[in-house]
Amino acid sequence: MPTINWNDRELEYDSSRFVKGTGHFVDDIKIQGMLFMTVLRSPYARARIISLKGGISSKDLGAKIASVGEGASEGEASSVEPIFASGFVNYVGQPVAAVFAEDRYKSEDLLDSVEVDYEPLKPVVTIDEALSSPPIHKGMKSNILSEAVKGQDFSDPSSPIVLEDTLENNRISTNPIEPRGLVASFEGGVLNVWASTQAVHSVKNGLAETLGLSKDKVRVMQADTGGAFGSKGGIYPEYAIASFASMKYGKPVKWIETRREHLTSTNPGRGVRGKMKIFSEKNGKITGMKGEIMVDAGAYGSGSGGFSVPFIESMMTGAYAIEKAFVTGKALLTNKVPQGPYRGAGRPEASFFIERMLDLLADEMKMDPADVRLLNMSDKPFNSPLGMKIDAARPFFETAVRELEYRREAKLAKGVGLSFFVLVPGTYTGESARMIVKDGKIGVWLGGNSHGQGHETFIRKLINEELDVSKELVTVYRGDTSVTKDGEGAWGSRSAILIGAAIVAICKKLRTEVEKEFGSYSSESLLSRDHDEYVFDEKPFSLTSFGANLATVEIGRFGNVRVKKCNAYYDVGRALNREMVLGQIHGGMAQGIGQTLHEGLFYSEDGQLITSSISDAGVPLAEDLPNFGVKIAENRSSLPHGAKGLGEAPTIGVPTALIRAVEKASGKRLRKTPVMPEDLIA
Amino acid sequence: MHPSSFEYFAPTKMKEALELLSKYGEEAKIMAGGQSLIPLLKLRIAAYSYIIDISRVEGLNKIRETGDFLEIGALTTVNELEENELVKEKYRILHEAAVQIADPLVRNRGTVGGNISHGDPSNDLPAVAIATKAKLEIVGKKGKRLVDADSFITDSFTTSLEEGEILGKILLPIPKVSSGGCYIKQKKSAGDFSVAAVAVNLVLAEDETIKSAGIGLTSVAPKPTRANKAERYIEGKKIYDSVAREAARIIVSEAEPSTDFYGSADYKRKVLGRIAEEAINLAFERGLVR
Repeated sequence: MPTINWNDRELEYDSSRFVKGTGHFVDDIKIQGMLFMTVLRSPYARARIISLKGGISSKDLGAKIASVGEGASEGEASSVEPIFASGFVNYVGQPVAAVFAEDRYKSEDLLDSVEVDYEPLKPVVTIDEALSSPPIHKGMKSNILSEAVKGQDFSDPSSPIVLEDTLENNRISTNPIEPRGLVASFEGGVLNVWASTQAVHSVKNGLAETLGLSKDKVRVMQADTGGAFGSKGGIYPEYAIASFASMKYGKPVKWIETRREHLTSTNPGRGVRGKMKIFSEKNGKITGMKGEIMVDAGAYGSGSGGFSVPFIESMMTGAYAIEKAFVTGKALLTNKVPQGPYRGAGRPEASFFIERMLDLLADEMKMDPADVRLLNMSDKPFNSPLGMKIDAARPFFETAVRELEYRREAKLAKGVGLSFFVLVPGTYTGESARMIVKDGKIGVWLGGNSHGQGHETFIRKLINEELDVSKELVTVYRGDTSVTKDGEGAWGSRSAILIGAAIVAICKKLRTEVEKEFGSYSSESLLSRDHDEYVFDEKPFSLTSFGANLATVEIGRFGNVRVKKCNAYYDVGRALNREMVLGQIHGGMAQGIGQTLHEGLFYSEDGQLITSSISDAGVPLAEDLPNFGVKIAENRSSLPHGAKGLGEAPTIGVPTALIRAVEKASGKRLRKTPVMPEDLIA
Repeated sequence: MHPSSFEYFAPTKMKEALELLSKYGEEAKIMAGGQSLIPLLKLRIAAYSYIIDISRVEGLNKIRETGDFLEIGALTTVNELEENELVKEKYRILHEAAVQIADPLVRNRGTVGGNISHGDPSNDLPAVAIATKAKLEIVGKKGKRLVDADSFITDSFTTSLEEGEILGKILLPIPKVSSGGCYIKQKKSAGDFSVAAVAVNLVLAEDETIKSAGIGLTSVAPKPTRANKAERYIEGKKIYDSVAREAARIIVSEAEPSTDFYGSADYKRKVLGRIAEEAINLAFERGLVR
């Protein structure tokens, strides 16, 4: 098992345009005659709209225009998010009307011209209120948006050790450095959209369906995208409104989200509670697990609340060989902004639930948490009763414990935490790539679009390896639905796996073509002719990887936590670029620390967002972060280029290790993120 | 995140500023560093038709000792306090508060006058002014008047400034030989509002008993407050652990912190009690050093 220490740095990525200030973001797009859109949003979590005058609102949309989001054409109709609130508002920040002017100052001034009368209603704010209250939507029987079950039910065994606990990840804002935004321009019967997005095709398909346009009349192009973390994967009401307005006014329309809008109205992640029960032998071997999860889906099914339930459930035995498991789960409607994916998107939640229970078991047994984990791992690949296929965990974990020097750390400090996880990347349904060779140069377009990861770096490297073409001759372009026929998106730790595989597949095809024509391959021969290749590489198989984290902390006298060490040992398959791998891990570890100690969206009893500034939402600062220690295992995957998933590893592994470290240092059982200073002092 | 439109003035003379202020009355707002006002304008929580930027007004950014006072011009930036040698050496309570305000970016622009006259209960300098028994020089069309720091902030974001008046100077009494002061603040992360903060300024008699005590509190009531009862309790006493502890208990019993995102009222009381005790002990120790 090769291990590399990251001293030998490889500097080759070309995202220098962002440093030089020559990036081209949505807000940099300026078109003559462009209107700027401002959205009037609901000030109430739940209210009846008595009257509404001014701006564009639901009455202007016409019958042909559908609601936004997944499930727009199926499921319980009233849980589908409308483009504009109609009749009722169901969360603070929900779009009610929109106004347009030639600049954004005037556009914001126009908000005063819209008159709305509301009759406030009592909102359903928490998971418990959702369970006990009448449905927030008239057409539904309850506040249950969806339900799912995994595994086989079993009667409680008469185990010597039975442990139960309720654990929770609070809602958290994705908070990319660039908020959402787009420019829509309807011209010559075609809707052109420039968007800050992870997935041009998803935006295109969503807009076509919502606006009743045929797909060939919608073109979505990606602008440079300053982070997304899951929140820019699909469409939102504002995208449909801006597009509709562009069609109505015959002018380009720009919408750029403010930070406050981002915090109130962009789908946040997490917001999941898990009730766990584990059954164990006297020696600490877990024989069964039962779970019940509740996802706070927010007001509509437009986010990921619904499909996150079975996904979380499937991973709830973690990396452990637990023979019996049964999990039930519900996604519940509340009067809050719809929940969505946030880096990890269900994986950190599932891992939090099982890892917290492993630590509880260790305390109960008075065993070392590493030993309890080892005892519950398999030497061989294991198929979990919840449907997850995992490789042999024990050999990896044994190495991880050594690489992280856990035993030594545990002797030196009180506040030490260790975590272990299996990362299941989102490979469904594959990914597209197109490569055009022309004028001695290569251009590459992707179905899943980089939002800051720097896909171009590994693509150039793979093309260089496969085709011996120097990196300067390869340009990776931003996503454009007119160039790639289809595509999914950049999320779920999938890009290096799927895009890498698609690029390699194209390269092999090109090589064969050149060999056929010229008798043998050379890059000169390749570049001497024009080529145009497109693939949609389907890799529906599961390609999991392991990771472990170690964290150490000290707690100040008022409960402020200082993270001393935050270290990782991850299997990334083959590291396509070491510096990029490190960058991914460092950023993710900062977010893991953020979720555990700082970040959260908190709502008052009447559903108002309390944490409505970026400072209150708790994004971690440089002073909150330690020097990260990262070690990498490179166990190549079965793919030709050897890659495995990585992006979400740190947001899965850090919170569980860190909360354990805080738990040990404070001596208090911790069940929730974020941990607040108040939770830690007597 | 874009303010409503306003007319902007940048006078260079106090006289001009006062004229503009009296001309536009309530529709005008004075801006100095803009570190509190600009966010309010951008979020459209506040809107004014006229912004009078006084940052170019001459003669309001000096720090100097004159007579019995350290005179600090209202336009002195927090960073200037932080860097000033005289303040560093002789006015530790003020220096300690200054270096803990927000972050360097805010301190470079934010002014002493703005920090006080904004009336934010979590701003740090009002408590220092209260603890040191400072006077504030207020300038108006009719001339100047002096008010006690205590009576300047009357409620959350409300001051006793009358229409047409501007805070001009802060006058801190020059410390007596046997005196000690400190500012202790507790917050979660840099840039956060404080959970609680305490300013203590003690003047010691020959026999090391407290001749005069000043205790100002930040973030634990709707406005910055003086801990009257605790001051009276320690005056005439020497500070022992038990005295400091009892004084802290009195301070906590009078505080009215509110529950918010940074912690429950109970947590804030806990924090306040511990830092108050520590601050009283520290100020006393510093007073003993002659």
